[in-house]
Amino acid sequence: MTKEQHDSLLVAGIDVGSASVQVVVMRDNGPAGAEVLAHSSERLRRREPADVAQTTFNSCLEAAGLVATDLQYIATTGEGECVPFRTGHFYGMTAHARGGIFLAPDAKAILDVGALHARAVMMDEKAKVLGYRMTSQCASGSGQFLENISRYLGVTMDEVGPLSLEADNPEVCSAICAVLAETDVINMVSREISTANIIRGIHDSMAGRFAKLLRSLKVEGMALVTGGLSADVGLVAALEDACCSKKGNISVTTHELSAHAGAIGAAIWGAFRFRKLAGKGLQLGVGAS
Amino acid sequence: MSANRILELVESAEETYRDMSLASVKAWKEKTGGLAIGFMPIYVPRELLHAQGVLPVGIMGGGDDLEIIRGDAYYQSYICHIPRSTIELGLGGQLDCLDGMLFPAICDVIRNLSGMWKFEFPEKLSRYLDVPQDFTPEMGGEFYKSELLALIADLEKRGARPYDKEALRASIRLFNELGGIVRDLYALRRASPWKVPTAELYCLQRAATIWPVEEAITILREYHELVLADETRTPMDQARVVLAGSFCEQPPLGLIKTLERSGCYIVDDDFIQVHRWITRSLDVEGDPLEALVNGFLFDAMASPTRYCGDKTKGTELVTRVETAGAEGVLFCAPSFCDPALLDQPMAVASIEKAGIPWTAFRYSENNGQFQVIREQAGTFADSIKLWSGV
Repeated sequence: MTKEQHDSLLVAGIDVGSASVQVVVMRDNGPAGAEVLAHSSERLRRREPADVAQTTFNSCLEAAGLVATDLQYIATTGEGECVPFRTGHFYGMTAHARGGIFLAPDAKAILDVGALHARAVMMDEKAKVLGYRMTSQCASGSGQFLENISRYLGVTMDEVGPLSLEADNPEVCSAICAVLAETDVINMVSREISTANIIRGIHDSMAGRFAKLLRSLKVEGMALVTGGLSADVGLVAALEDACCSKKGNISVTTHELSAHAGAIGAAIWGAFRFRKLAGKGLQLGVGAS
Repeated sequence: MSANRILELVESAEETYRDMSLASVKAWKEKTGGLAIGFMPIYVPRELLHAQGVLPVGIMGGGDDLEIIRGDAYYQSYICHIPRSTIELGLGGQLDCLDGMLFPAICDVIRNLSGMWKFEFPEKLSRYLDVPQDFTPEMGGEFYKSELLALIADLEKRGARPYDKEALRASIRLFNELGGIVRDLYALRRASPWKVPTAELYCLQRAATIWPVEEAITILREYHELVLADETRTPMDQARVVLAGSFCEQPPLGLIKTLERSGCYIVDDDFIQVHRWITRSLDVEGDPLEALVNGFLFDAMASPTRYCGDKTKGTELVTRVETAGAEGVLFCAPSFCDPALLDQPMAVASIEKAGIPWTAFRYSENNGQFQVIREQAGTFADSIKLWSGV
């Protein structure tokens, strides 16, 4: 490749999560910035993650009007070690930090809320990870927990956020243990608490835990919510309240592509690595089928 | 086609070393009527055993397949895992087909294990193989030669063939060949680590401590040829690391696979050193016993189990990193391994002085959870790929 071609690279990022796969195809122009050409998302639904990654990748490529051999680097993150056609793999925190800076250049931290856990990652302006905190092993801070609750309440995940915003008297529930929280919810239903107030109570309990993660990192400034639950407007609102209600200077934001932050970060790091390796005279083949 | 054959070879190797009943050793004994002698990790002069018609059998603990019931009663909680699982194997009868055990000089724990073996299995040959820490021919050389002569005599008493110079020369030729193939595989892995995944190389090397040397040569040579020709193995963007500290108690295979999957190409390691302990082919022209002695004195690997002069500890690791073109070091030592962990600060000081990134973690041979190590190795690989030289 010529230097001019190195100035503009086509790269893909694949984020294999525990519940879904996110794929982005990007054009990376180095210091001039990058743009997302296409993005796709697919739930795993008990299928092999590698198979879902392949089909989601194919559909994303098609949406971008490209074929695999057009790409210079296919980067994976999350559980993406299972993707055999990857060029390289980056760890979740590294990828989300870079994706966070891409989506919100002023962000000082990201809060990645996935199906199995949540983690707060503080980074500098170059997306170098400065520190992180994760929720403990209990599932009460995870998307899976929220999905279980929504199923008990008979609402879809898409309805959860808007319903939460309608709450007028949120009911407090356990923030320590998913089992206790689920018991709380059963009691609330029998006490005829409204679905909106139950959901907002759950959101408040989760947001309280996440705010603690951010505060323990001593984050000052903007935190971008990423991961699958970043699209939950109710959770983001609860998080804004939780961050404002105590000492500290943390503002919370989200982005329409927040769920793809890991894939975006991986793709941008892929472009970075491609240039770094090319600078050493090395070039890796892209093995996508 | 070749990918299937490679898989077959590796699976057969894994099956061999995981088989704690030592079925392949029993079959060999039945076929040949020869003796089989077990040996612990690091190094024993297998050439000598082979020359006397004895099958050397690598016993490197029980790994992650063995439940320790009696072994824990023999060792305190602050002792590493390999002696517990080894004695568990002995007491459980899995090593009954062996006619004896050799315990190379590794550390006090292994010396202690050799003593226990004598008490527990008085009818078997049990020998602590003392090695010199003085490397002059007149002192260390004479001492080591006397140890080898004592071993020869012990084997003869057990019914092994009498010592014969020509037989030893022939055995040295065979083990030179095996060592050469292993060194070639290490060189290929340094040059093209995607061709020789460490998990595969590990399985083959480990089984090659159990297979008769002639069979090991054939299998490892076939593997070498197949991976060289396999065009489906293409490079990925991974950090090149040297893995240091795993020379005695071996990590579970899952740990090696985890490290590779987490974004690391292991381009040098301390696994199964017996094949590489003598770093070049031994002389086959002169006195073969002298050749074994000289090999040990002058051509042995640097190791925490060997004496090194002052201020030289750790410098060897820097050389290995440079030779392998590695970008970092993973200190991956067994918990409570005195030789590895006592040397680690000196090794760290040397590589830090040379500006080489490193990280450290510990394992036990029966570990089954690698998530924390996966995160650590993965973020270490990321830091090398993204931030080194920036």
